[in-house]
Amino acid sequence: MVSDFFYPNFGGVENHIYYLSQCLLKLGHKVVVLTHAYGNRSGVRYMTGGLKVYYVPWRPFLMQNTFPTIYGTFPIIRTILLREKISLVHGHQAFSTLCHETLMHSRTMGYKVVFTDHSLYGFADVGSIHMNKVLQFTLADVTRAICVSHTSKENTVLRSGLPPEKVFVIPNAVDTAMFKPAQVRLGRDEIVIVVISRLVYRKGADLLVEVIPEVCRLYPNVRFVVGGDGPKRVRLEEMREKHSLQDRVEMLGAVPHASVRSVLVSGHIFLNSSLTEAFCIAILEAASCGLLTVSTRVGGVPEVLPDDMIVLAEPDPSDMVHAIRKAISILPNIDPQVMHDRMKRLYNWNDVAERTEIVYNRALKCSDQSLLERLSRYLSCGAWAGKLFCMVMIIDFLIWRLLELLQPAKDIEEVPDVALPCHQHGERIEHVFH
Amino acid sequence: MDTHFGADSSPPPSRWRKVAYGGMQPGYDDNHTDETFLEDMVMNANVVKRNMLKVMQDSVSISQYLCIVALVVLVWIYTLRSTLNENSLLLLDVSLLGSGFIILVLTEEMLSLKRLLNYVLNVSFFTTGLFVLAPIYQTLTRSISSDSIWAVTISLLLLHLFLHDYSGSTIRPSGALKNPNLTSCISLNASIVASVFIASRLPSRVHVFATMLFSLQIFLFAPLVTYCIKKYSFRLHLLFSLGLMAVTLTFVYSLHCLLFVLLVGMLIFVNVVCPYWLIRIQEYKFEINGPWDEAKLCFDITD
Repeated sequence: MVSDFFYPNFGGVENHIYYLSQCLLKLGHKVVVLTHAYGNRSGVRYMTGGLKVYYVPWRPFLMQNTFPTIYGTFPIIRTILLREKISLVHGHQAFSTLCHETLMHSRTMGYKVVFTDHSLYGFADVGSIHMNKVLQFTLADVTRAICVSHTSKENTVLRSGLPPEKVFVIPNAVDTAMFKPAQVRLGRDEIVIVVISRLVYRKGADLLVEVIPEVCRLYPNVRFVVGGDGPKRVRLEEMREKHSLQDRVEMLGAVPHASVRSVLVSGHIFLNSSLTEAFCIAILEAASCGLLTVSTRVGGVPEVLPDDMIVLAEPDPSDMVHAIRKAISILPNIDPQVMHDRMKRLYNWNDVAERTEIVYNRALKCSDQSLLERLSRYLSCGAWAGKLFCMVMIIDFLIWRLLELLQPAKDIEEVPDVALPCHQHGERIEHVFH
Repeated sequence: MDTHFGADSSPPPSRWRKVAYGGMQPGYDDNHTDETFLEDMVMNANVVKRNMLKVMQDSVSISQYLCIVALVVLVWIYTLRSTLNENSLLLLDVSLLGSGFIILVLTEEMLSLKRLLNYVLNVSFFTTGLFVLAPIYQTLTRSISSDSIWAVTISLLLLHLFLHDYSGSTIRPSGALKNPNLTSCISLNASIVASVFIASRLPSRVHVFATMLFSLQIFLFAPLVTYCIKKYSFRLHLLFSLGLMAVTLTFVYSLHCLLFVLLVGMLIFVNVVCPYWLIRIQEYKFEINGPWDEAKLCFDITD
């Protein structure tokens, strides 16, 4: 797995890579993760289950991304791919420069490549236009792609021009063993609404500022618990002061990942006000803890939960207040344990890993392509961009040949497979490099 | 154990649903592309169909401002050549100030004594300040050669024209909603610095004061006055612009033939060629909207 985003960072992409790798290890594959160094954490580390992580010593330069040198990463990636006897490369997140570069070099070396997109992007602003062009370059030659929701698939197909048959929809899942409902059911006389998100514009913190006072006014027995930190925290504090809601709105600040469950089980309703989401894992965690969810109808959120576990609203304060009212009224019918058991059947990381394995098998069955066939795909990216991309790939190919000359493949010693006790019986179907 | 007679076929596959839960949908692959794929996509929803005449009329604002700047440069050239002496310049200033004031008063919807007093007070502060600071401007660029001054002034004026806010006014009448954005502030500053540089080349203190007053009052207040005229009556705005263009062209013709040709070329380019070009490339506009878009907040965020 390749991405700029991995442990010790916590987030959607990081958790996805970690859980998927663990489940693939259980299925008997060999998984290696490649990411950049985090502070002092550099070199090779082993995580649970024998997951080998390469923290390549580059410094992140902008929002956890490595500095894009285009060809500078080739030598080390080639060494790692040959040493670990990798058969397939899986890149994550369109925003990760390391992912794009690694996928490009892997294609030059002839490996099969799978890409997973975790976010939605627009089309209109300057940043998105550039990002989409880079994505078009990377995906022009990818073997298969995975998206986390159907809306995300539509978005990715439009942005990159991939044929829809190449894109698979495999959602994220949630670790239901970690997110269990409270042992003791909460009393119903005071209703607690929990919000856990980064307090930024994208996550709808401004909507919260409008909704919370209104709900507190209409329902005297409702209390809010707000976890998370960010630039908009100041606005929430001001709102709290302005309406004198200090005893009804509790601000917890940044909640470490290990304590998220304890915050969630203290509430009845989970409120998500984001303005854009490809797939909201926070909603899954809340549902797994037995909370009823109220969310904005954006992006892939309507696909995530069945209609009786979530109340959707337009991203408009009055509509959200209306949805909260509806949620409060159906709250007596909700049984957290029943919801948790349902979630165990609806979302499962092992299922995600099996479906991903199907994608890998399809990818590996694809025929190898020569450089000329691949170049024709790049040419179709645009009048000027196509020729530029072809030049980039030709230079990449030449650098590969040079590296083969300077450091032949047979001189690179291969890593012996360490057989850990719990994986004795797993047949090595293929070695997958994620 | 069930006993089925005859019917050996598997049950018909359930319909594909656009949901993410429940694992793989039976009978469908993960890369199944339904007919409902991209059915929520909306194309070119907000694109305005443009009419050539309307675009040409709108481009008149730009050529009007170009003529105003050309007139300012003319006055500068005449002053630097001493064709225009300081008394006539002062007279020009006062008359411009007066006429601008009258136009503002006439076109203002909400006329009130307090507003009038506010304007008069601001203008008198501004004029007094300039008069006091005039000696400083006079000696500001004494050590810089004239060629550098002309070069810097021309580039600053070009910057000013590029970044200028042609649709509104940076100095807004009190009560206007739109805040000035970064580029309009930069353009205003560029024009002010250009006027300071030119004024510093002049011989006497009165010259400097008169020229600075003239340039600043045009650059600060002319957009406001033209904006008020445009708001009041579009026909008046068109007539005013045409008159201004005629006056400018006559003066520039009497000054230098090449500049005249250049100005005519610019005006034709802005008024005729650019609207045609815009309408031609409008056809390529492809705007995509759909459920993946970031939601827009329907209320203003007031801090």
